Amino acid sequence: MSEITPLNYEELRSLMVAAGLFVLGAIGFLTRRNLILLVLSAELMLHGVSLSLVTFGKIHQNQEGQAFTIFVLTVAACEAGLALSLVLALYRQTHSLDIRLWSELREFDVPSPVSVDAAGASSLTSGYEGIPMLTPAGVQPRELPKTVNADPKRPDRTPV
Amino acid sequence: MNEWMQQHPASIGGLVLWAIGLLWLMPSGKSDKARPGLPGILLAAAGVVAFCLGAGRGVDTLQSEVMFWSFALTALVCGALMITSRNPVYGALWFALATLGTCGLFMLQSAPFLAAATVIVYAGAVIVTFLFVIMLAQQTGSAGYDRRGQFGIPAVLSSFVLLGVVVYELQSAPLQINRPETPKVAEVGGASGSRDGGTMTSPPALPSPDAPINPPPPPSVPALLSRATPETPVGSMKGLGRSLFGDYLFAVELAGTILLVASIGAIAIAPRREEGAL
Repeated sequence: MSEITPLNYEELRSLMVAAGLFVLGAIGFLTRRNLILLVLSAELMLHGVSLSLVTFGKIHQNQEGQAFTIFVLTVAACEAGLALSLVLALYRQTHSLDIRLWSELREFDVPSPVSVDAAGASSLTSGYEGIPMLTPAGVQPRELPKTVNADPKRPDRTPV
Repeated sequence: MNEWMQQHPASIGGLVLWAIGLLWLMPSGKSDKARPGLPGILLAAAGVVAFCLGAGRGVDTLQSEVMFWSFALTALVCGALMITSRNPVYGALWFALATLGTCGLFMLQSAPFLAAATVIVYAGAVIVTFLFVIMLAQQTGSAGYDRRGQFGIPAVLSSFVLLGVVVYELQSAPLQINRPETPKVAEVGGASGSRDGGTMTSPPALPSPDAPINPPPPPSVPALLSRATPETPVGSMKGLGRSLFGDYLFAVELAGTILLVASIGAIAIAPRREEGAL
């Protein structure tokens, strides 16, 4: 009927490649500072998980691994769509894709996880230095810094 | 642990070489002038080869070996280049190549439908959307935060320690698999019995028509339709469809609902013209 054997080398190396893909995605997620590349690194981690699932499905002669991978694909597509619209909404507020600009969401008495020296002084400046970085609501502030105005030919169109 | 290190020097060396290559490729940002990437790529590729050789050797068929090595190298080296590229546009393109390598590996693991679906979804839709967003949001070339990463050395070290632990677990105490009798169909050539997708390997051996069909063992899990049979080998469209629309019908409905909710949410979140263009 059935026999119990250890993994053969093909299955083993496929699982190892899957683990390698996952770890590469994790490194990218930890080290990059671009919001878009963070999302892409998460997708690379999902590739590793999918490869593991498919390999396990083949090892056990079962369709479930591939069925789960289809669900992973679905969730990844949803995540990409939501993440990109979020990135656009965040970019509208800071005009930068730097992840460190969003460490301001912490509580006031908690120190910054990254010192300003390590971050580089230039990268921490956003286009909205003077005004509080809250979600724009209500009446627009009357005066905006010059640099904020994206289109100088049409002063009536302000990006906030 | 010591025993494993003596028995698998290739895995250890591969991990070390790979980590060094990644650290070499990592954007340092000390100066605008980037290091030459070729030594890092070669180091990472050598590390990947040694790492995969640590799984053991053996030649099943020449085609499957060639395809495994090319796909695995494509996936892992392009993944390394993606997470270290200074320009996000190039990062997205490297990610597309890594996706293609992963799809090749799917094909080798007898999942031709999944390989095609992943190519369509990722390389066709996700990458194009990402490139659009990059071009909308970042028109001035690579910014300072792209030329300079954060936590480079600790991230690489801890992640490779994690990878080493996973590989140690896989190699020192191999999983004992309770293999059913039927997999004869899908083992040959690695491309399953589906005639529509597995054209890249040698044609699989079809089961002889008078092969006895084993009675299914008593169900330990309720998922009965997902089990591979000689008529529906792993990865065949028929078997996958039976699994998805039999055992996982509710999950498929939920996935459709999630897609609907996510698309509505994306439209709601995305900034609109009158609120201020990019």
